[in-house]
Amino acid sequence: MTAPTGASTGYRVRRLRRSALWTALPSAGVVALLAYVPYVLERKVTDTLVDFFILLVLATTWNMLAGFAGLVSVGQQAYIGVGAYAVLVLAQQGVNPFAAIPLAALVCAAVSLPVSWLVFRLRGGYFAIGTWVVAEVFALLVIRFESLGGGTGANLPGLDGFDAVLLGAMTYWAALSVAVLTLLGAYLLLRSRTGLALTAVRDNELAARSVGVRVPRAKRMVYLAAAAGAGAAGAVLVITQLNVQPGNVFSVKWSAYMVFVVLIGGVGSLEGPILGAIVFFVLQRALADYGAWYLIVLGAVAVVMAVWVRRGLWGLLERFDVRVFPTGFWLQAPGGDVARPPRDDPPPAPRH
Amino acid sequence: MPVPILLELDRVSKRFGQVVIADDLSLTLEAGSTLGVVGPNGAGKSTLFGMVSGDVAPGSGEVRFAGRSLHRVDAAARCRLGIGRTYQVPRPFVGMTVFENTLVAAQQGGRLHRQAATDRVLDVLSETGLLASANTPAGRLGLLARKRLEVARALATGPKLLLLDEVAGGLTEPEVVELVGIIRAVNARGVAVVWIEHVVRALLSTVDRLICLAGGAVIGDGRPEDVLALPQVRQIYLGSAGSGPGGPEL
Ligand SMILES: Nc1ncnc2c1ncn2[C@@H]1O[C@H](COP(=O)(O)OP(=O)(O)OP(=O)(O)O)[C@@H](O)[C@H]1O
Ligand SMILES: [Mg+2]
Repeated sequence: MTAPTGASTGYRVRRLRRSALWTALPSAGVVALLAYVPYVLERKVTDTLVDFFILLVLATTWNMLAGFAGLVSVGQQAYIGVGAYAVLVLAQQGVNPFAAIPLAALVCAAVSLPVSWLVFRLRGGYFAIGTWVVAEVFALLVIRFESLGGGTGANLPGLDGFDAVLLGAMTYWAALSVAVLTLLGAYLLLRSRTGLALTAVRDNELAARSVGVRVPRAKRMVYLAAAAGAGAAGAVLVITQLNVQPGNVFSVKWSAYMVFVVLIGGVGSLEGPILGAIVFFVLQRALADYGAWYLIVLGAVAVVMAVWVRRGLWGLLERFDVRVFPTGFWLQAPGGDVARPPRDDPPPAPRH
Repeated sequence: MPVPILLELDRVSKRFGQVVIADDLSLTLEAGSTLGVVGPNGAGKSTLFGMVSGDVAPGSGEVRFAGRSLHRVDAAARCRLGIGRTYQVPRPFVGMTVFENTLVAAQQGGRLHRQAATDRVLDVLSETGLLASANTPAGRLGLLARKRLEVARALATGPKLLLLDEVAGGLTEPEVVELVGIIRAVNARGVAVVWIEHVVRALLSTVDRLICLAGGAVIGDGRPEDVLALPQVRQIYLGSAGSGPGGPEL
């Protein structure tokens, strides 16, 4: 349909403005440092970091859901719970709990497919409530099974033989691996063809449909991936606690955490939830002694961010063109950069 | 040899509460042709586009494209069939650059991959004069560039039918001339164009056929000069707002 005008001669498209090493090397360095932590720091520190990694995974996946696909779920605890119980059941069958982590993620993705057919019929607030109801229903179903410990839960078998220090370190590495894989997966997804389409959905869903983006398909894919991530987080959670409590794993508090972290850090970017998880985690530790006050302060911070700083802390930094994980495209003209023209007219005034 | 019918509205009706958008409205458009649409504010012109592009479901009646019913075909699938549209109030992907805005259209609507998608984007951006802004985030564009981006994005999907909703509003005379040139070039490649515009002089230099929409009906259809001379068309403009915002800017 478009006339070949030969415009493309000499133009090159780059994925990064700077060298890819600028992202890859520091990231690899941070991961290597984190992987070394159990050799030098005590168990208390690694256990704390495990909680942080769980939070990071949940926030990253929730951000993909709410920040990109526009699916504001408050029911991801459904998959934390299913992931946790999947590990329990597999361990009861003799599977090593660590090996059960990826299986738990797969189980959650499989379970989330039929659930998506149900909840995707709902819009906006109804979708949010619907996902919560699904989580509650899952909890009610699971406690029917005596073999799973009913309402009180059950201990996780299969890890009794391990030395406590080794177990702590292995749990730490498992949590770190899940966090790194989740971030890497989210990064690769956002850099892909589907990721560009998802970013368009983030910015304007109606316009995305009008340029041919198959929005329901993209949303379903994100929903499945986010369920897998939450399932892996739930699996790690069981291994840290060595038991499953239905009231904990299916608790709506997890959704509250995800919302807090993403609102504070910034919705719709990869960096935002990482920053948010760090800030949230520090706040949580600092305020832990003040009991209920900590929830009130966190809630107030989240409300302030939601109302006044729409794109969170990362949104403030982004104004200075900082990017840790570049996902965009950069067009280079034959003679170097294409010119950045001045604005052709004042910013748009609202019409009609 | 008769020119095939590209778009067909068959007895379409639509109302929002008391507001009648279309009342048993029928319309056909030949492949590769041009059609201008005028009508008073709130006549339902943009909503008519919505019913063609899949954003709005008709109350009754049928829309057909290239002989195929669009009933239950969603907006993305319609785009992939060859219906490209712009929005009256631009809807850029604000967090993405101009290049990325156009690329996603070429990849998704145009179903192009890799270099083919890039080539399409470069062609479209140079044609619409946006090449120099390729790396600018769309959120930083002014209104005029946003309107160009609407056109570029629709073109990148490789449409057989291009729906333009008031893309000339607010443009200066030289800019209108440039835009008219772009649209005529697109049409010369065989893309059918339907253009809603209050700036009638832009329409007159582009379209072969004009319809006037009012009260849910087509009250004039034919050569642009003839339609504008019709008493009922003059009546609506003179009666509603003279040459004010509702009337044609002649
Ligand atoms: N989703 C909707 N729900 C209810 N009313 C609507 C909706 N969309 C449009 N309308 C109403 O339908 C009427 C037609 O709107 P539309 O935008 O199609 O008119 P238009 O001919 O494009 O006008 P303009 O020249 O101002 O762009 C208006 O009165 C508008 O308020
Ligand atoms: Mg309109």
